[in-house]
Amino acid sequence: MIAKRIGIESSLAVAEAVRLANVDVIAAYPITPQTHIVEGLAEMVANGHLDAEYIPVESEHSAMSSCLGASAVGARAFTATASQGLILMHEVLLVAASLRLPVVMAVTNRALSGPLNIWGDHSDVMIARDVGWIQIFAENGQQAFDQTLCAFRIAEHQDVLLPTIINIDGFHVSHVIEPMYFLDQKTVDEFLPPYRHPYALDPDKPVTMGGFAMPNLYTEGRKSLDTALRQSKKVILDTWKQYGDITGRYYKPIEKYQAENVDTLLVTVGSYSENAMDAIDKMQAEGKKVGLVSVRLWRPFPYKELIEAISGAANIIVLDRAISLGGPAPVCSEIRAALYSLKDRPQVVSIVGGLGGRDISPADFEKLIATGLDKIKSGDTAETIMFGVRE
Amino acid sequence: MKREDTIEIRWHGRGGQGAVTSAELTALSAIHENKFAQAFPSFGPERRGAPVLAFNRISAEHAIRVRSSVIKPDIVVVLDPGLVTLINVVDGLKPGGWLIVNSTRSIDDLQSEFSGDWKLAVVDASSIARELLRVNIVNTTMLGALIKTTGVIKIDSLKEQLEVKFGARAKANLEACRKAFDTTVISSITTGGQKKVRTFAVENLAKWSELPVGCVVTDVGNTKQFCTGDWKAQHPVWNDSKCIKCGICSLFCPEFCISQQKDGYFRANEFYCKGCGICAQECWTQSITMVEEA
Repeated sequence: MIAKRIGIESSLAVAEAVRLANVDVIAAYPITPQTHIVEGLAEMVANGHLDAEYIPVESEHSAMSSCLGASAVGARAFTATASQGLILMHEVLLVAASLRLPVVMAVTNRALSGPLNIWGDHSDVMIARDVGWIQIFAENGQQAFDQTLCAFRIAEHQDVLLPTIINIDGFHVSHVIEPMYFLDQKTVDEFLPPYRHPYALDPDKPVTMGGFAMPNLYTEGRKSLDTALRQSKKVILDTWKQYGDITGRYYKPIEKYQAENVDTLLVTVGSYSENAMDAIDKMQAEGKKVGLVSVRLWRPFPYKELIEAISGAANIIVLDRAISLGGPAPVCSEIRAALYSLKDRPQVVSIVGGLGGRDISPADFEKLIATGLDKIKSGDTAETIMFGVRE
Repeated sequence: MKREDTIEIRWHGRGGQGAVTSAELTALSAIHENKFAQAFPSFGPERRGAPVLAFNRISAEHAIRVRSSVIKPDIVVVLDPGLVTLINVVDGLKPGGWLIVNSTRSIDDLQSEFSGDWKLAVVDASSIARELLRVNIVNTTMLGALIKTTGVIKIDSLKEQLEVKFGARAKANLEACRKAFDTTVISSITTGGQKKVRTFAVENLAKWSELPVGCVVTDVGNTKQFCTGDWKAQHPVWNDSKCIKCGICSLFCPEFCISQQKDGYFRANEFYCKGCGICAQECWTQSITMVEEA
């Protein structure tokens, strides 16, 4: 494998991964901050660099519907969206999952209205938590490229056959030019076998897709989908192992940074994890026993790996870049649930921050960790803290 | 848990015959009598002619909390004569319970269909409805049989509900109800009787792990196995002496189940015929008559 180091905008790196995956159909509607991905792909198709059908649809609902139809006939399908666009897709997201159609989608995570805001946070994908898609977070441009390629292989694996979202933070990753390594076509072709669906629509082998289930069958249908999603973790781990063997970049469901022999762990999701690393380095240099854990695999949720990573710490500070209005923050709520069955549970404090593109710098992360520890010291961790809000 | 004094009723009808209305009127009448009652249909895709269920619970003493289907009824009412041979209408019927059937068959003949410790009541509600209501919708008529046999509601409270629901047509409905009250024949069934052996369709349901990926349906064309003929309350009978073999009946049949025989005359495939009566309506020479299912 010849790996050339290049500088490129992360969105275009995702487009390049999609080109290397040799997709058959791209159906998309432009929305900030996702636009550069599909613009890049449209250009590749127009220039003849990618032999795919590019469908410029009139809405995200149609984008997902077109991808679903393409995937159902056995075509490799890709789309990208963000924020309100993802929300408009919701009806079809559930159908793609329940029909077990391995569409791959990049979501450049962005805030939801309102107030209207085009900048990054995780509100859009957290509302899509329960739709039955595999959901993976990338923290930088290289990971966005890598995870996009892995997503096709995971989604289309015969033991999985589930649609997959790659989450890429809007602007903070999508619009940043970074150095990264691409793979050559031959390597990708070897890594990514052609897509085959056992029941792809075929006039010679007709099937009915999207049939209706009465109360006496629906539960079994949901159990079957839920089991497929839970069991997909094995294929995800295998795929990441194999990808690591090719590239030297190994991925894990729960990533750890300086997380051994510490009292306090910060838990983050997405690109702010890299901001936090600088804070962790500085604090450790000052003798503070603070480490970092980030959630890469969001669905299926890696309970075992999470517990293994965090249960040894006394204090857990969870940063959510999404607010569940009137309820507990989504990532923290998952983490608290995962820890509940343990005898000796760490203290967990929930912090919401980084909403609608608000920066959390390394220096801010030091403050955030201090705020969390103060809260734990106070003995009252029931309430979610909103970080950086003007009081 | 069901309170001891609660009476549970299961109504068997066909889509369009008004089983749901029967249950509603029963509950409204009971509520009018200051009892506790509920009425509800079997929720699902409703198709005219397809077998349907409706349910009642009535209690003089206790508010009713249970919202599940009635599976061990005290009373079963069958609005459509054909359902007796199609569905196990006595499924779960409690010992000592009532089976109330609309049928032209004699009570002795009907007894031979069942084996159990039940009371049986038969009334020819279809004839009463056709005579007094000019339509074969027997829901209000069958309420007369229910009231006579079980007294679960009073005819005076029903009268008020009929007036609310049917306005000017309440009078005829009440008349049909009273006629059924007067003509219902009562007998009993025992476990020792001579029972006709019937096999009822049993659904074979998959375990979750047996479902194909995406719950796709792979046995394409399985609609052919679907006996839509079960939905019919009437079937077409041809008078070949009037038939001019034009085939207009087969052209209009929405099920495409009428075909020309070797002798040139037409017949419906009873497995699929839903008894809609369009063929009889369209026949130029009026050689098709719709005849009630036994």
